Amino acid sequence: MSRSLTDSRYDCWLASACMPSGMVRKLLLEFGSPEGCYLALQKHEEAVSQIITPRFYRMLSESGREEILQKYGKKLEQHSIRSILYTDPLYPESLKDLSDSPPVLFYQGNLECSGGRALCMVGSRAASYSGQKAARKLAADLGTQGVTIISGMASGIDAAAHQGCMEGKSPTVAVLGCGLDKPYPADNIPLRDEILKNDGLILSEYAPGEKAAGWHFPVRNRIIVGLSRALILMEARIRSGSMTSVNHALEQGKDVFVYPGDPASENFEGNHQLLREGGIYFTSARDILEDMHWLDNPPAVRHNSDCAQEQITRTPEEEKVIKALKPGSLSFEQLLIHTELSPSVLMSTLTILQIRGVIEAMPGKQYKIKQ
Amino acid sequence: MEEIMARTVSFGVSGVNGFRVNVEVFGIDSMPGLEIIGLPDTSVRESKDRVNAAIINSGREIKPRRITINLAPADMKKEGPSFDLPIAVGFMTVVKALTPDPHIDMDKTAMFGELSLDGSVQPINGALPMVISAKENGMETVILPEKNAREVSCIQGIKILPVHHLKQVIHWLEGKENIPEQEQISFETLKNEAVPVMDMSQIKGQKGARRAVEVAAAGGHNMLMIGVPGSGKTMLARCIPGILPPMSFEESLETTRIHSICGRLPAGSGLMVTRPFCAPHHNASVASLIGGGQDAKPGEVSLAHNGVLFLDELPEFSRGALEALRQPLEDGIVSVARVKRQAQYQSSFMLIAAMNPCPCGYYGSNRRTCRCTPPEIRRYLDRVSGPLLDRIDLQIEVDSVPVNEINDAEPSESSAAVAERVRKAREIQQLRYKGTGKHCNAQLTNTEVGKYCTPDAEGLRLLNMAVDSMHLSMRAYQRILKVARTIADLADEETISSVHIAEAVQYRELDQKYWR
Repeated sequence: MSRSLTDSRYDCWLASACMPSGMVRKLLLEFGSPEGCYLALQKHEEAVSQIITPRFYRMLSESGREEILQKYGKKLEQHSIRSILYTDPLYPESLKDLSDSPPVLFYQGNLECSGGRALCMVGSRAASYSGQKAARKLAADLGTQGVTIISGMASGIDAAAHQGCMEGKSPTVAVLGCGLDKPYPADNIPLRDEILKNDGLILSEYAPGEKAAGWHFPVRNRIIVGLSRALILMEARIRSGSMTSVNHALEQGKDVFVYPGDPASENFEGNHQLLREGGIYFTSARDILEDMHWLDNPPAVRHNSDCAQEQITRTPEEEKVIKALKPGSLSFEQLLIHTELSPSVLMSTLTILQIRGVIEAMPGKQYKIKQ
Repeated sequence: MEEIMARTVSFGVSGVNGFRVNVEVFGIDSMPGLEIIGLPDTSVRESKDRVNAAIINSGREIKPRRITINLAPADMKKEGPSFDLPIAVGFMTVVKALTPDPHIDMDKTAMFGELSLDGSVQPINGALPMVISAKENGMETVILPEKNAREVSCIQGIKILPVHHLKQVIHWLEGKENIPEQEQISFETLKNEAVPVMDMSQIKGQKGARRAVEVAAAGGHNMLMIGVPGSGKTMLARCIPGILPPMSFEESLETTRIHSICGRLPAGSGLMVTRPFCAPHHNASVASLIGGGQDAKPGEVSLAHNGVLFLDELPEFSRGALEALRQPLEDGIVSVARVKRQAQYQSSFMLIAAMNPCPCGYYGSNRRTCRCTPPEIRRYLDRVSGPLLDRIDLQIEVDSVPVNEINDAEPSESSAAVAERVRKAREIQQLRYKGTGKHCNAQLTNTEVGKYCTPDAEGLRLLNMAVDSMHLSMRAYQRILKVARTIADLADEETISSVHIAEAVQYRELDQKYWR
């Protein structure tokens, strides 16, 4: 049973001190509920100060006032945020196994979507164009197979993962490192709304009003990993936040799938290091599904429109361009050399192929065959 | 007490036009002194000291008298040192240092020029509008600094006497010496002497961008280039004046006038025959771009009139400066209003802008990794506002050329060959828009696009498909049609076919990649 608004206010109060989860759990065992803790603190019961350190005692008593509770109540109501305790039967099963699972979780949306086939996808915020494209496509392919993608709603890979999953008509879960009333980064508020509209879930262990702090994110990553059955690393440098997620996955005994990005790019150096150290190599959603033993219901043969397009006769110019792009992406100038077409003819040919969905244009005047 | 009065004719500049100024000098035997009235500015007031020294250094003596100099009409501000020469002549007449030959009609002789203390005559700004105005005011002769003579040498119907020293003027007025008349230099001669601008043959590779530049020049379209640092955006822009059709005499006159009053003409130059290329730095103020200052001087947009305004590092320009470009881009004219002055200047230019794809410059490059975060990139791109982008028809990406390709590349086509195709395309356009006041495709309004830029059925089908599959905006739709019209004109074809549309779509690729 999810908690009532009145109860949730006490949850906010308890979570606002950001105490270690062990301490919170002890409090809850002792006093039964956050409300119990609140009343005990108001009465200055000895037991409270035995469990928590003086610093947290001070923080909790300072914020333990009726008007602050009311403020929380307003925020919860305004953003339709609800909370759940770790003792609740609805509390995500997968998180219960964590040694430091968050005692209180705040959420918006559909809590039930976090169960089942869930994978997390992590990667750089300043991801390359190709990395983002790949993440989006992979998430979409997994989504169509009923996999829920879990990520952190940051820009770059995270955003691409959420978007892709929704394109695959599967709900997606975002775990934030700040209060749900003010998602960080603010740029992704439209993305949050979209996630909620698509029956997804937004989670956080931080009380509403809690601002994003640098140390929240590595801690938050344990929840992302905890909720998932395995981790997919899309694009990471060696020293990066994504690598903390990988460490969480290893600690929690979960598989790590590593996308083999461009070895020449610094952006993928973390990927390649992990692959050398035994990360699981994959190239498509099918590889992952197979390794996860989720291929029980083999995907139906997709009737994509490509079959129909094959019948369209291509002009010699179009053939030339397609042939030149077969080995990989090329820039406009390189295409001119390979195809020996005039600039204006090449431009019109490229447009026609783009419209037909045969090739795509990338930043930097690069073209490649669409997969 | 003996009173004496003298009058000489000169010209001043207001906006881009000259106006007649009568320099009246009145002398009386009284307490020696000199006063200049008639709204002179500081440089005009200081004229008395220059004039004094110059007269003495020309070997004439000055008899002390009380002198009043009036610059009529008295209600217009007089600026600059160009009144030195007429003041000196009037002054000498009044102090009896000079007696003009009675055969010379002083009312039909205009003069202007700055005097140096040693008596030499220095060049001034705005000679061209002054001489044009002198001719319109029925002057027969104009005496001006030698270094300004070439600038006005193609004005017909007025005798131009270039001088380098005050002595020459004195001797000519006394009828002792003749000043050789400035010979007419025809516009055609000047054209042949034109200093060549950067030639397209110097650009290696970049065939895609070269083609885009050609299309932009052919239709007079504004263009935005996005590319990594060092990809040759500036070089491409510098080539554009050389491939635009040559300036007509009227265009040259308009542009030279503006440059003349700003003092931007190199000493001893004639009418401008090459189209101007103005590249203000990105810290330029609104006033320096659009025009302004106390005396409402023309800005870079007017100096680029009939030529190219090149804005490198477009997002680094201040928001105000970029937004202020909208009026001149739309109307080809800019109104500069200040408390004391207001003026209208022509500013019909081709805007060529260049920018990096992101703050670090390497977004999308396959040679170096970009280190910018997506919000940084978005903020950078957002500095260029939609309404400004709306006025830029061609938006292209310029890729850098690898060093080995620079060396291998066969020699590129020269500007002359490209200019010839551009000229033909412009001729077709001028014929089509005869009597509408337009002269190139870029000037078409949306309704005119509907009238002149209708593609054939296949072209229309392709365009609709492109808009659908590439998520292009309605704004892009109109621009594509306009540019396709230019591409068809370059190919000398009356109907816009699918090939032309397909090429034009490529010039909107940034819409899809950057500003979605």
